[in-house]
Amino acid sequence: MHQVFESIKIALASLIANKLRAILTLLGMVIGVMTVIAVVSVINGMNKSVSEAIGQLGSTTFIIDKYGLVTSEEQWFKVRKRKDLTKRDMAAIDENCEYCQHVGASSFDRSMTIKRGSDKIGGTIVKGVTYNYIEIATTDIERGRSFTESDELHRRSVCVVGPDVAENLFPYTDPIGQKLKIGKYYFTIIGVGKPQGSILGVNQDNWAITPLSTYSKYFSRGGSIQIFVKAVEYTKMDEAMDEARAILRARRHVKYSEPDDFEFFTSESMMEIYNSFTQGAWLVLIGVSSISLVVGGIVIMNIMLVSVTERTREVGIRKALGARRKDILWQFLIEALTLSIIGGLIGIGFGSAIAKIIATSTPLPSSVETWSIVTGVLISSVIGIFFGIYPAMKAARMDPIDALRYE
Amino acid sequence: MLIETRDLWKTYVMGTETVHALRGVSIQVERGEYLAIMGPSGSGKSTLMNLIGCLDTASRGEYILNDRAVSGMNDDELAFVRNKEIGFVFQTFNLLPRATALHNVELPLIYNGTGAKERLEGAKAALSAVDLADRMNHKPNELSGGQRQRVAIARALVNNPSIILADEPTGNLDTATSEEIMDVFEKLHERGNTVIVVTHEQDIADCTQRIIYLRDGAVEKEVVK
Ligand SMILES: Nc1ncnc2c1ncn2[C@@H]1O[C@H](COP(=O)(O)OP(=O)(O)OP(=O)(O)O)[C@@H](O)[C@H]1O
Ligand SMILES: [Mg+2]
Repeated sequence: MHQVFESIKIALASLIANKLRAILTLLGMVIGVMTVIAVVSVINGMNKSVSEAIGQLGSTTFIIDKYGLVTSEEQWFKVRKRKDLTKRDMAAIDENCEYCQHVGASSFDRSMTIKRGSDKIGGTIVKGVTYNYIEIATTDIERGRSFTESDELHRRSVCVVGPDVAENLFPYTDPIGQKLKIGKYYFTIIGVGKPQGSILGVNQDNWAITPLSTYSKYFSRGGSIQIFVKAVEYTKMDEAMDEARAILRARRHVKYSEPDDFEFFTSESMMEIYNSFTQGAWLVLIGVSSISLVVGGIVIMNIMLVSVTERTREVGIRKALGARRKDILWQFLIEALTLSIIGGLIGIGFGSAIAKIIATSTPLPSSVETWSIVTGVLISSVIGIFFGIYPAMKAARMDPIDALRYE
Repeated sequence: MLIETRDLWKTYVMGTETVHALRGVSIQVERGEYLAIMGPSGSGKSTLMNLIGCLDTASRGEYILNDRAVSGMNDDELAFVRNKEIGFVFQTFNLLPRATALHNVELPLIYNGTGAKERLEGAKAALSAVDLADRMNHKPNELSGGQRQRVAIARALVNNPSIILADEPTGNLDTATSEEIMDVFEKLHERGNTVIVVTHEQDIADCTQRIIYLRDGAVEKEVVK
């Protein structure tokens, strides 16, 4: 135990005694761990914000979509020929699916400009939704109200807008009850949604929704809808999906041997898709940033080799006084460990700071978590041991008399 | 018998040349003896001391220390013997330059796992025995040559070894200081320690009970007083 303290003391003393060398020694480790921590934090942040966004759909809701996930042009030509999903499909599911609690729909969305007098906001995502969509897709209304069945029935020109739209066009007045212009048509605002921030740099607060019937009247004749279904409970998801599938296949005359001509999305399946797209990239990213860790380790090995050579006589003296191989081994190993862990801790500090700066000054999210800090410390220890073992063994194997004679 | 060597050889091979530093040395040392080894430069005195001190191993022959055969021991066993049985005093002191006198003296105790409190007491007692209690916290470069050698002697003593080996302990010291150091060895001997000193100086050797003369790696003669 005393030897451990002593080795740590020796390591610290030689760091303090030779500051420039210390800085250079630690630099590699600091940069390595810093990069890894920053990269991991950004990846973490992205995964977290994506999974939060996807999770918002809820674990009991699934979406039925005409196209599904399209990854090639070939596939696109194929799915394009599928029949549109219609309001009647939705109604059929609503009527016949026992395990489906709520069935709603939304149109595909369009990016449009919204005006109020001479003020305007561009790039607003506009779509039409059924009155129950807000509940199914768990969109939170902060002020005002959601749509009613009667809004939809009478194709009223009402809308719920995202907080960005409200703030931009009505900075000083209550937007509820006010009129604005979506495209060429006037709408009355009945509600304002809760701010969501942004996901992967994409703003989630610039949107407007209208009743589906109103939307079809003004903005899209025909066109497929997406059907949103909330199952009665989580354990009945599969049953609800099977029922909906059977109903749609019958309505769309899909032959027994043919696959579905529509796709299901759940929050789980969307998360899987996201992971399958990103995991490879993450591995590459972490792998590349780990190279600097190896460089940091090599620097430590180098400095430890210098240290062992410089202190050959000391090793001889210690051996002459009864130090065993393992005593010397531990001494130098602990010294290497001390160096790498100090470098690692500084790196964790800088890495977390960089992650914070990234989160506040760029659209990229980041999240520094305890496990990544613990991993950072572990990684630097492993590197200290891995690159410290060779110099330490070199010292431990020295012949006492040769070491004592060393000039 | 504390030490017995039988036909010890030490051969160095350097390229095509072989140097026989020792050519069959057989000596015996009783417990409590005070012994000097003399001989011209290159006669193998240091080589023999290193073998007796278990710092080096013989090329041939047997060495029995305290009824145990040292030849054939592995690295860690030798380290154990160096720690327990032997106190080595070098011509060049061989103190750790960055450590205090106290810490230097503590080192042998660290390597046999003595507890912190006992270690401190032991080291202080050893330093007092060489009259250096007031210089405990000085580093070697803050001490005179004679004081450094006394720290080294305290370090050799601290574990109560069976033998104290000193290879030209006064080689780097002036006459007055040399006498001080020899007084210390004299006192150690009186207290019952076994002491072996290598020296070039006849008057130092004359303080001892027996002198072994080496020449060309072999025992030339022994003089007992
Ligand atoms: N490591 C070594 N490699 C080769 N030869 C060596 C080595 N060490 C000692 N020798 C040789 O062994 C012989 C004895 O050396 P040693 O150091 O024992 O002499 P010494 O009696 O102590 O001399 P001095 O009085 O000068 O210290 C010398 O010829 C020396 O050159
Ligand atoms: Mg010599």
